Order: sequence, then structure tokens, then C-alpha cells
Amino acid sequence: MLAKIVEISLGAILINNFIFSQFLGCCPFLGCSNKVDTATGMGLAVVFVMGFASAICWVIDNYILVPLGLAFLETLAFILVIAALVQLVEMFLKKAVPSLYSALGIYLPLITTNCAVLGVVLLNVQNNYNFIESVVYGITGGLGFMLAIVLFASVRERTQFSDYPECFEGFPICLVSAALVALAFMGFSGMKIL
Amino acid sequence: MNRRQQFREGLITNNPVLVQQIGMCATMAITTTLFNGVGMGLSVLIILTCCNVVVAALRSIIPEEIRLAIFVVVIAGFVTIVDLLLQAYIPALSAALGVFIPLIVVNCIIIGRAEAFCQKHSVKDSFFDGIFQGLGYTVVLIIMCVFREFVGSGRFGGGLIDIANGFRFTLDGTGGGIQIFPEAYGISIMNLPFGGFLTLGLLIGLMQAALKKSEKKKKSAERAAKEAALQKEVEE
Amino acid sequence: MKDNKILKLAFVLLVICAVTAGILGVVNALTAQRIYDMAHAKEFEAYAVVLESSSGYSEVSFDKEAFPTVDSIMSSNDGNGYVVKSTFSGAQGSITMVCGVDNDLKCTGISIIEHSETSGLGAVAAANSAAGDAFRAQFIGQGSDIALSKAGGSIDALAGATITSNAVTGATATSIAAVESVKA
Repeated sequence: MLAKIVEISLGAILINNFIFSQFLGCCPFLGCSNKVDTATGMGLAVVFVMGFASAICWVIDNYILVPLGLAFLETLAFILVIAALVQLVEMFLKKAVPSLYSALGIYLPLITTNCAVLGVVLLNVQNNYNFIESVVYGITGGLGFMLAIVLFASVRERTQFSDYPECFEGFPICLVSAALVALAFMGFSGMKIL
Repeated sequence: MNRRQQFREGLITNNPVLVQQIGMCATMAITTTLFNGVGMGLSVLIILTCCNVVVAALRSIIPEEIRLAIFVVVIAGFVTIVDLLLQAYIPALSAALGVFIPLIVVNCIIIGRAEAFCQKHSVKDSFFDGIFQGLGYTVVLIIMCVFREFVGSGRFGGGLIDIANGFRFTLDGTGGGIQIFPEAYGISIMNLPFGGFLTLGLLIGLMQAALKKSEKKKKSAERAAKEAALQKEVEE
Repeated sequence: MKDNKILKLAFVLLVICAVTAGILGVVNALTAQRIYDMAHAKEFEAYAVVLESSSGYSEVSFDKEAFPTVDSIMSSNDGNGYVVKSTFSGAQGSITMVCGVDNDLKCTGISIIEHSETSGLGAVAAANSAAGDAFRAQFIGQGSDIALSKAGGSIDALAGATITSNAVTGATATSIAAVESVKA
């Protein structure tokens, strides 16, 4: 059990990193990586929502959808759960932890359309993970996302001082530098835990 | 609305990937063979067109406050339909695209068009918008696939074209494609995530260069026209 | 008044959800059988590739604790061997493979049903190409001592895909061991 959890965690953070090897969550990754501190905020918010979404969607899938033979409604149910969850988290944080809210606030609504979140719950179903495995995969997947976005934000801060062709201004230079970071992450591929 | 202008916008001046820069995840993830690219592009085109039509048709009865929730439900509905149909009739495509088919739900292209276009335009305009934007997306996917497949494994049309027994198109993903140079000489890293980021970066860079050039041309043409007009006035 | 508004919003959303769910239900009812058939047709096709049987296959029970990666073991009704289906991790994700094993505990062929290996590298192991066929053909006739040539065996790894090759080789050995345990 423990070995399986370690395997899932390392897999989600390094080997099959959500961004650099599965391409999940590229939009916020490219959109919110201008500065290291915004990247950290976005990353934290994603860890939070991915953990909760994995837990709730697992329960809904295994206790409502599958027993009723409604597995074909998974995508629809999951996206509604995620949207509602993001709203709830936002309201809860606003009341209970205002300091965290002011740090994460603006990123939360963006997460609804983050494909890493919907991706992680769909992958949980596809991989037949049990409850604990799903939650671990959700949280560590989020951590992997955070690691990627924070690392990349610091790379991107440097590109401001570099001299590149004018037409690469903005997104293109980001993507090219992301390619190089992805190259570094490739070093982890195929690592085995067991 | 001018169809030709809509066409230009979808394919070039307001291309969803190259100019609006949305919907990138799938663009980079699945563009390894032509089969994937065409399949994904057409799936998005169909879903986008259907969603555009439905959203435009319902635009007067959708309450402002919950419009996003309703868009998401409509989109998720069409995505699931396409997902089920693909699983039933083109299982090879469904297996190759995997989780990226259900993930079309959160593809910003679709919700973005619903929000920015269909709410304010007629069903007919929205229908054509869906087709042209979808085409713009498909064309980008195809360009990326062709480039990555050629450089990465020296092939064209993998999965889609089969030349083993004469030229034919296959839908079961078994076509070997046309081998242009031996696979062993390909830069196989182009098939990996690195290649996805790099190709899209280069493509958007080229697009920006082209747009800038045409803008400059337009400006200089305008200036020339103005000067000519001025000259005329002076002469008169 | 405000309550009314919220109720109305909830009602609209509910109606739209219900209509969508209803349409999906119809589509699902129309496609479910076909999806099931397609998924299983692929599996049975793979069975026939690795171990031909004129009279079908029947499932045999095995020790799941001892062989966690093995999904099922089918015995050929012709009595010429077994087909083992197993799911294990490759370089990128999990690989599902069927492996035929004859009564002398030799592999009669492998076929990969599902995988998410890198296109052009590990994916060659499953590909319907000359390179893929050549890779899979090496497994025919191998016994439980099967190993990559690097490790002293006779299986040549796919170029650039040692991890995939190693995983498939290991799974073949496991499959043979699982059949041995069933026969014992």
C-alpha cells in the first residue's frame, strides 16, 4: 500500500508530471507564470482544488454514478462538481481564512477551466484508483503542477533579459523555454520505484 | 455578417490557437500523428459548431447569472455524445486521444466562443463561426502533426493513410503512413513533449512575424494613399 | 422576490441538466452494446493472434496475490495452452498485454491491447509495422528464463525504448510463471 502511494506520488510529481509529460493544465501554466509569487499562488490553489475534487468525485462516481449505471454521465457530473467546489472553496476561504483568500482569490475561478483538475479526476477513474490512491494522486498531481509552474516562472523571469527575435515576443518564447524545461523533466521518464 | 471575413478570422487573423492562444493543451499533446490531429480537429469542430448553435438558439432564455454553468452543461453534453460515438465507431481514435476527448469540455475555445460570440449573434452566424473557428483549429493541428511526424519519424499521414496495399485511408489507426526517410534517422524527440512545446512556439512565432509584416504593409499602403490624396489636393 | 429568482435560476439549470442527461441516456443506450463488443472483439482478436484455438477459451482461476499484474488466465478449449492477460507499468503509463503460453511453458506470442507509450519509440512494441512484428516475433518460443540481450537473454530491446522492452519482457516471464502455477 505504502509502496503504491510512493509510486503514485513520485509518478505524479516527477515522472509523469502533469504539465511536462501529460500536457494537462497548459493554459494557466502559460498564463500565470509571469512571476514566481503569482505562480506559487496559482500552484497552491490547484493543489487544494485537485485534492478535494479527487476525493469528492471518487465518492460520487463510486457511490452514485456506477451503482446506477450512469457512468456515461461522468464528464458532466465531474465538471459540475469542480465548478461548484471552486465556488465553495472561494466562499469558505473568504470567510474563514481571509489572508489565504486574498492570496489565492483571483486564481480560484480560473481553476474551473484548468484541464489538470478535470484530467486528474478522469484519470482516477481510468486507472481504477481507490479512495486513498485518488486523493494522493490528486494532491501530488497538484504538487507536480506547482513545481512545474514555479520552476518555469523563474526561468521565464530570466527571459526578460534575453535577446530573442522580436516576433517571439510573448507566448512563443515562453513555449520554447517550456520545451527546454520539459527536456529536463524527460530525465525522469522511466524511473522505477519498485 | 460577412462570411468571408468570418472565414479569414477563424483561419488567420483571429485563429483560436495562433492568435487567441487558447486550447493549447490538446494542441501540444496529441499532435504526433496525422490521424490524431485530424480526429481531434474534427471532433472539436463538430462540438464547437453544435454548442455554438445551441447557445445562440437559447441565448434569449439563458439567465445572465448562471450562463457559464449552462454553457458548461451544454458543452459537456455534446462532448460526451462525441466521446460515446467515437468509442463505438472509431475505437482506435478514442484510444489514441484518450483523456483528451472528455477534456474538450474545458477547452477554452468552446466556452470562449460561447461567451464572446454566440451570446450576441444569430444562430446562422454562430453556426458559421463554429465551422470556421473549428477549421482554424484543425488546420493548426494538421500543420503541427505533419511537421512533428515528418521530423520525428520521417513519415506522413501515420495511422490515416495506408500504402501497404495501394493507397487508401484507414480509420482503425493501423495505416503505416508514407515513409519519406527511414524512421531511424528521425529526431524522435520531436514526438515527445519537448517537440510539442517547441513546434507550437515556433509556429506562433512565425504567425506573429507574418501578422506584423502584413500590418506594416497595410500601414505603409495607408500612408502612401494619404500622401497621394494630399498630393492631389496640393495639385488642385 | 429574491428567493423566487434563485428558485427560477435553479429550475432553469435543472431543466437543462435533465434534458442533457436524457439525451445522453439515449445516446448511451444506442452505443453501449457496440462499445462493449468493440472492446471485447479486440481482446478476443488478440487471443487468436497469440494462441489459436478453434473452440474458444475458458477462464481458469489463479492466485491473484502471487501475481498482482495478471488480470486473467484463459485456457484454450483445444487444450493447446493458455492465454494470460496482464496489466503492468511501462515507460509512460500502464500497458495491457496478452501472452500465449503453450503446455511446455513456452511463449507462443504476445499482443499489446492497450498502452500509452511514446509514439515512435515504445509504441513500436504494439505497432502494426514491420519493426513491431519483428519485436514481437522474438518472444515466440521463449521460456521462463526470457530476458533482454543486455541482461544475458536473447530479446533485442527496441531502439530508444529499453524501459518498454524490459517491461514487456518481464510481463512475459510473469505470464509464463503464472501459467506454471496454474498447471501445477
